[in-house]
Amino acid sequence: MLCERCKIREANIRYTEVVGGVATEHNLCSHCAKEIDFGQYTGLASLFDSEYPIGKILSQLLGLGDGREKEQAEEMASLVCPTCKTTYGDFVNNSQFGCPDCYHMFDLLISDKLKQLHGSDTHTGKRPAGFCQGEEEDVLEKPLSDIEQIGILRSKLKEAVEEEDYEAAAGYRDAIHALEGKLAEGRDER
Amino acid sequence: MTRWFEETDQMYDVFVLNRLRLVRNVEGHVFPSRLSHEERSEMLAFLEEKVLPLMAEDGQPYAYCHLNELDADHRNALYERRVINHSRVEDKEPAGLALSPDEAVSLVLNGEDHLRLQLLSSSQSLENLWPVLSELDDEVGERVSYAFDQKYGYLTSFLTNVGTGLRASVVVHLPMLSHGSQFRKLIQEYSRFGISIKGLAGDSNENYGGLYEVKNQKTLGQTEEELIGLVSQAAGQLAAQERKVKSLALRSHHLQLEDEVYKSYGVLKYARKLSYKEGMTYLSQLRLGLCENLIKLERPVNLFGLMLHIRPANLRLNRAEDLEGDALDEARAQYIRQNLPRLG
Repeated sequence: MLCERCKIREANIRYTEVVGGVATEHNLCSHCAKEIDFGQYTGLASLFDSEYPIGKILSQLLGLGDGREKEQAEEMASLVCPTCKTTYGDFVNNSQFGCPDCYHMFDLLISDKLKQLHGSDTHTGKRPAGFCQGEEEDVLEKPLSDIEQIGILRSKLKEAVEEEDYEAAAGYRDAIHALEGKLAEGRDER
Repeated sequence: MTRWFEETDQMYDVFVLNRLRLVRNVEGHVFPSRLSHEERSEMLAFLEEKVLPLMAEDGQPYAYCHLNELDADHRNALYERRVINHSRVEDKEPAGLALSPDEAVSLVLNGEDHLRLQLLSSSQSLENLWPVLSELDDEVGERVSYAFDQKYGYLTSFLTNVGTGLRASVVVHLPMLSHGSQFRKLIQEYSRFGISIKGLAGDSNENYGGLYEVKNQKTLGQTEEELIGLVSQAAGQLAAQERKVKSLALRSHHLQLEDEVYKSYGVLKYARKLSYKEGMTYLSQLRLGLCENLIKLERPVNLFGLMLHIRPANLRLNRAEDLEGDALDEARAQYIRQNLPRLG
């Protein structure tokens, strides 16, 4: 049976509404069910997201889930760029970065924002003269800085969580914590 | 020297102004907004030492000044003439401005970003302006090392500029099209293609003078040429629509249009006091009349230039008086009377 709302997708949710003792039956797909206003039961709509429970349970086991979401948001807001001391919170408030290094520091956090703004997160235009050559040499010769490494690990962590490879994710998380600890120590010494 | 908006050897057309601007930052340096006052002064001195010799080589005598040392009227006047953006009017921190004699080329040092390069022209197309700006960009890039990332491109203080750092815009005069009931909808449609269209003068409810600026919203993921092409195309489409509506209106309401144009000329030529809104509205009508040959003047006049000259800060500077309210409106009417040619 097709969803009665969009008439495109297959209906997989049957929902019975009882108003004044009269029961009416609705057949919806999960996509439309999420968008429908269920009045006081709005919270229930999120249950229709079929991916919701299993992913959530697993990530909670790894300490990445809902219980820590708020904590994580706070942690994210207090992330600091070591070069210019801009926090991610500052950036969210003024939508302004403090220095070129912010782009590496908050690499993973801005990727979605960039896609939303520009429909892309990769530059294809002009480059400074001689940049291409110089940069390739740099990559070979210069080891990555801690900030760059954290950025790479964060994107790997995100990928691992998306692919539900939680073992690898835990490994990346620990490596990030270790590097962040090292950075913080370096700052304290200075 | 004649400034770009005072040149009179141009056709009266839908296209009014083409503008390109690039923002750049210097590698290894914190962006100006995060610097203390002292650090900002040092940064400005560093940029001046690196970039100003280049301007001296350019063959035309650039004027250089510290924006923070100018008074509010001078800064506002530069803003009204599109030389600096609004954030430079408010900010009192050290920033520099190098400006070509015709005001078509400008370089802002130490603004929101370390460098802001801009070209303005009423005769050259965006496609013709780009190689000129790109070359200037390369020359500056030889003197300072730009903050550039393999993935993100040119790194800028605002995420809305990252990548190319390019804003391309065309100001078009749409007195007929903008009166249509579908105009708002049309503007919204363009935003789906990454084009933003905003009124050039007026307040949040109303546009004065039918001037609209068409510009790219996105700066990342497309090449400079693609972005410029997109803006040109959008502006071209709007211009074609405007011409179409004009020719239809001329056929069905010729007398009414002609009457409005002459009445507007009459008000501009004889009024004793004009608000900015009135000035813009009547100049826009007159511009429409000149575009369509409904009226002839003794000699050509740059009406967009007049529109810039009658903005409050420029008018005050021109009169060297601190005018407000009625006195300002009186000065505006007088300025227009003196600068508007007789009927030809």
